[in-house]
Amino acid sequence: MLDKLLKYLRSLRFTIVLIALLGALLALGLWVPQKSLLKDIYFQWKTQSPQLVAWLDFFQLTSIYTSWVTVTLWGLFFLNLSLVMWQRIPLIFKRIEMPEARIVDPETGGGYVFRAAYSVAQGTDEAGMVNALKKRGFAMVSNGSGFYAVKNRLSPIASVLFHLSFFLILLGGLISFYTEFIGFVDLAVGEPFDGSLAQYNVTPSPKLPKVGSLPRVAFTVTSVKPQVVRNTPTGITVKVKETSGAEHVVDINKPLSTAHSSFVFKHLGVAPLFVLKDPSGREVGGNFFKLDVVGGKADTFRLGDFIFTARYYPDYQFKDGKRSTKSMEFNNPTFFLVAERDGKKAAEGDVPLLGGLNLVDGYRLEMKDCPYWVRFYVIKQRGLSLVYLGFAIASIAVIWRLLFYRRELVGAFREKNGQRCLVVAGKSEYYKKLAEDEFAKLFAELFGPPLAG
Amino acid sequence: MAYWEMIFYWVALVVYSLSCGGFLYSFIFKNPKVMPRMFTLLAVGAVAHTIAIGARFEATGHLPWSGHYEYALMGGWFIICGTLWVGWRNKQLQGLAVATLPLVIIMMGYGYMQNPGLTPKAASLKTIWLYIHVYFAWLAFGAYSLAMAAGVLYLKKKKNLQQPVPNPSYDRFPSLEHLDELIFRYVVFGFITDTIMMAAGSLWAKDLWGGYWNWDPVETWSLISWLTYGITIHLRVTFGWKENRLAWLAICALSTVIICFFGVNLVVNTSLHMFQVR
Repeated sequence: MLDKLLKYLRSLRFTIVLIALLGALLALGLWVPQKSLLKDIYFQWKTQSPQLVAWLDFFQLTSIYTSWVTVTLWGLFFLNLSLVMWQRIPLIFKRIEMPEARIVDPETGGGYVFRAAYSVAQGTDEAGMVNALKKRGFAMVSNGSGFYAVKNRLSPIASVLFHLSFFLILLGGLISFYTEFIGFVDLAVGEPFDGSLAQYNVTPSPKLPKVGSLPRVAFTVTSVKPQVVRNTPTGITVKVKETSGAEHVVDINKPLSTAHSSFVFKHLGVAPLFVLKDPSGREVGGNFFKLDVVGGKADTFRLGDFIFTARYYPDYQFKDGKRSTKSMEFNNPTFFLVAERDGKKAAEGDVPLLGGLNLVDGYRLEMKDCPYWVRFYVIKQRGLSLVYLGFAIASIAVIWRLLFYRRELVGAFREKNGQRCLVVAGKSEYYKKLAEDEFAKLFAELFGPPLAG
Repeated sequence: MAYWEMIFYWVALVVYSLSCGGFLYSFIFKNPKVMPRMFTLLAVGAVAHTIAIGARFEATGHLPWSGHYEYALMGGWFIICGTLWVGWRNKQLQGLAVATLPLVIIMMGYGYMQNPGLTPKAASLKTIWLYIHVYFAWLAFGAYSLAMAAGVLYLKKKKNLQQPVPNPSYDRFPSLEHLDELIFRYVVFGFITDTIMMAAGSLWAKDLWGGYWNWDPVETWSLISWLTYGITIHLRVTFGWKENRLAWLAICALSTVIICFFGVNLVVNTSLHMFQVR
């Protein structure tokens, strides 16, 4: 019973069943909104169809990639892979051996699809044949009865490597999962970051590592320069300076990578310095406010007794009685502010850089500066090098195995009708016709056309 | 679209359509002599297609490798070049165009209806990984398309041989045994390039999004596609699935790639893979 179970668990049939089931589950995850990926859509859907979503939640179909069914299938997949490897590794090493027993009669040896005979000059011996084939990349073994030659002898090892790369990716993935820290941090120009948990955004809450510590990095954002051509963001240059004095430039596709941590640029905002003045012109309050207004969103801030709702126009224009932006380029940044005090509108108007807005009772709001702030997606993981090594091995192994496939030849010198001739037989993995053409070309180059029959 | 790009795009599309019509005529009216001429016409279309790509490059300053239109433009070019390459190396394979051409024409038509406007290169695409990732993606798509075409030819030729009076057009194609092996070879080539594409994409994703795997719909579907072709190779190598079964597998498996490139964005608008670059 146990043997039967083990046999099934290590069968290729089981592998295919598992892959098909995993494929189906992954495809299902594309149809059912996933909690972790599409939060807004998920919660909207939950409000609309609470019973259906509750049912799907119960079966973990809304978190399908981490559901127990998926994890079990992955577990079985790696169990299957382990058992297959356990069984096949000795066979593979046996396969790459070159015992003399491989030398069989080329006219009767089984499994060979290419068979031909070539007339050779008297005196042509196996040594010459061995040299000719060795020059063409064949490994050889020969005795008095004939020879056995194989090209890409070690190719089956690539199968082992390919499947072992899965384990490396798995191991790297598991280490990454347990050591993973994920958080978001918003930093304006000039704002120092000391790496403490308190500096990370509360929403979404940071994911703390199960093993290990937070990123040990401290730096200050020294400048932010977004580049936009018409309506397409074409780049951003974020300069940061570590407390050690080291300077880095962060861009899209170029995160700050240090101490197993990556600070990936995710979002741009503006952090205007607004100053509130009383009727005598004395400053009664002021601050840099990190506003999330790029892209047409509205944001609010409080200064003194006033609550301001801000809209931002990077390339401001007032046309046909309407405010808009000519482009996404930061050519003429201007805020449109609506001020409220005690629930009543106190003022509204446009505030360009170094401009101001007169409020009720003689108060005035002025914008002194308008630097940017950036949101970094901070991720710390260990084990990534294993994942990358796995990718590299998988890519190399699949090329090695499927392009540098094994071609095997057996041959012997015989006398036929009083003529010395070479009788050969060949076979190949995967590509029978291709190998037949290759063998025919190879021997035609060496000995001319084959003998008829 | 740039001025010359539009002209040559349409020239290519019209020439491809004429060539496709000629190939179909050759099959349906059993006139194999037409095929080499149609193949030459296909090459003319490919020249126009290349000029259209060059004109777009000239106008934007970057290779057209983002957005549905550009995917159709470059993807179609890769498939046509693949068809020309195999047909040039082996005249018996010129007829593959009968299956790849309709695919390219539909792709290019669909792409044109999406976003052909000239856009500067988005910041997220300014990386060497784009070229590696997308180049290998298109090599894979091209190879899988050729596998599908060889599969179609295999099934048609086999059916033709069972007819009382076989259509001589099919005599121009390689033997069934050879076609069967070709399907497998194209699948293998596609699988290798697909593997490199996924590995390169993961490395890029780490720099761009912070994680090498994000279960993004396009990522997930590309994994499904990769697994499908992995199964196909295993079925062939280990279970000996050949002939009709392999041909049908090659034809059906292509749907996973088409869904990955074009289908996912039709039903999901949350993909990190912004094919609709704006």
